[in-house]
Amino acid sequence: MKLWLYIVRRLLLIIPTLIGLTLITFILIHVQGNNLIIAEYLNPHLTGAARDYAIQQLYQRFHLNDPLYIQYMYWLIQVLNGDLGFTRTPIYSGPVTTALALFYPNTIMLAVISSILIWIIGIPIGVWSAVKRDSLFDQSMRVVTFTLYAMPPYLVYLLVLIVFAVYLSLFPISGAVNPLLLQGIDWYSNGISYPTHIVFIDALLHGNFAIALDSIWHFILPSIGLALGGVAGIIRLLRSSMLEVLDQDYIRMARSKGIREKYVINTHARRNALIPALTSFVYGFAGLLGGVVVTETIFNIPGVGYWTVQALLNNDAGGIMGSTLIFGIILVTASLILDLIYAAIDPRVRY
Amino acid sequence: MSKELGLIGRRNYLLKRNPRLDELKISFKIFFSNPTAVAGLVITLLYFIDTFLVQFFPWAIGIHDPNQYIINPYNPVPTPPSPQHPLGTTYGGIDLLDAILKSIRVDVEYTLLIVLSGALIGLVLGLVSGFFGGIMDEILMRITDIFFSIPYLVLAIAIIFVLGRSLDIVALSLIIVWWPLYARYARGQTLSIKQMTFIEAAKAAGTRDFWIMFRHIIPNVLPPIFVQISLDLGVVVGVFSTLTFIGFSPTANIPELGYLTSLGLNFVSIAPWAVIIPGLVITIFALAVNLMGDGLRDVIDPRRRSV
Repeated sequence: MKLWLYIVRRLLLIIPTLIGLTLITFILIHVQGNNLIIAEYLNPHLTGAARDYAIQQLYQRFHLNDPLYIQYMYWLIQVLNGDLGFTRTPIYSGPVTTALALFYPNTIMLAVISSILIWIIGIPIGVWSAVKRDSLFDQSMRVVTFTLYAMPPYLVYLLVLIVFAVYLSLFPISGAVNPLLLQGIDWYSNGISYPTHIVFIDALLHGNFAIALDSIWHFILPSIGLALGGVAGIIRLLRSSMLEVLDQDYIRMARSKGIREKYVINTHARRNALIPALTSFVYGFAGLLGGVVVTETIFNIPGVGYWTVQALLNNDAGGIMGSTLIFGIILVTASLILDLIYAAIDPRVRY
Repeated sequence: MSKELGLIGRRNYLLKRNPRLDELKISFKIFFSNPTAVAGLVITLLYFIDTFLVQFFPWAIGIHDPNQYIINPYNPVPTPPSPQHPLGTTYGGIDLLDAILKSIRVDVEYTLLIVLSGALIGLVLGLVSGFFGGIMDEILMRITDIFFSIPYLVLAIAIIFVLGRSLDIVALSLIIVWWPLYARYARGQTLSIKQMTFIEAAKAAGTRDFWIMFRHIIPNVLPPIFVQISLDLGVVVGVFSTLTFIGFSPTANIPELGYLTSLGLNFVSIAPWAVIIPGLVITIFALAVNLMGDGLRDVIDPRRRSV
């Protein structure tokens, strides 16, 4: 199959997934009947007849008397028009769309930095453990990955926090960027930076390197925590797939041709061993995004995950719905990108 | 080939040996020759014993109120380990050793509940859809796709939000999130076994579908599922405690290890033991079931069984 045909097919496959994603979000907010919607939109200060009238208005506005599938259609149109409702949490009150613009950049930044860290840490260790099989390095790495794999995610993040921020004082304990630095900056207002909404990139675009450095400084520790939580699986998988590849005939062939061991491992073996690791990374990404929820809570980073927890603790339907949708969209996009990379490097998947 | 197998059967018959008993002996031999797997088994059993004691005979290990922590209002600040409190205390003056013994019960019980029910639901659906295929299979796969399109922790949080914040709901949300994994796994196993020659032979001999499923497919799908269950106990205990770690306010007072960790969260810089010790208790359990699962995997691996 041609590559472009595969891409088109893969893009079309997103549609049912997105419909399912919106459907599940819709079902979640309607399981309790209309309570959550009314609670989300109703002004809590109204009483008596004014309150009844407002509820009646809401019934009309959201077609709450219609069957559920018609309500879903209306809701979908509303979502596609960019109206996701309101959120009321201590960290932000207002439209969900603004909250997303405020929170998702931090989450994306965390996910991207920790993904990069996972590859930087994971590939050399995984490859080296396979090459030096059963050596002291391999044995100790096996113990380390096993322990990391068994730890609940929050313990990994807390240990990183305790060691690097509390005892060594190398990194700030919490927050996404030092707010004092942002005072009086014209491209930053009401918690949203312009034009990309990611403080680090915007600071670079405006040539303000102090803020860029401070922003990345705040993200290093949570990213290391996230990466340590996710790297164990990659190392174990890479080690076993590398061992399998090193046993293949073409590796023996390359060695018998007299190619130096460095090239055999780096060019012949590693590239092939990376392919299964990439697939597992797609599934690992879901765990990574789940970890984001915990890291952001522990490190007080105002991202989508922190917002989700705040919404849970403050009975805020808009926040839960918005964050479920955005996390779903991030995951679907990430798996799409990884699938396309996968298709580009491995011709066998395109059928 | 078939002639050889016939001879083995005849030899077993003449020697009055039970081949199943022999296989079981081999299984035990493989498992118990692996020291780490045995260590895992022993530690897991210790956790189960604690669960059993706290559930039925709490007074036997000196626990007075197994359903909640005993808060000491006079000294609510965490104190380091001392002869009086061997593991120290955490926020609210709660003695960590007492709290951990209580909490292990809740964690182990809910983790077993989540993994076993998730595995049962997934196994039934995966088996049926893998075996019969067709439209049902397609629908099941699309449903699991949808479940995989949302990070499971976020989906669990959303379910907890809708159904209410309690331990039962946390467990229910994890069952809802976890069964698709088992459905996929069981379906994959069923599909690969369905392709094998012995199923074809059974079909050619006129065996009914129902019988093929129960006599030939299920016994072959179950062992890898058991290994998966053992490995998953370690993952689920972490996810379950993560949800209680972030999902409950400090006034909830439920005996659970993730919640116990969250109590020490505000004292990380002055009392690190209050978060590290409860976390390590979970880590050791997860390590133990993982080691046990690895041992079980060796047991069912046909390469290890060849005589």
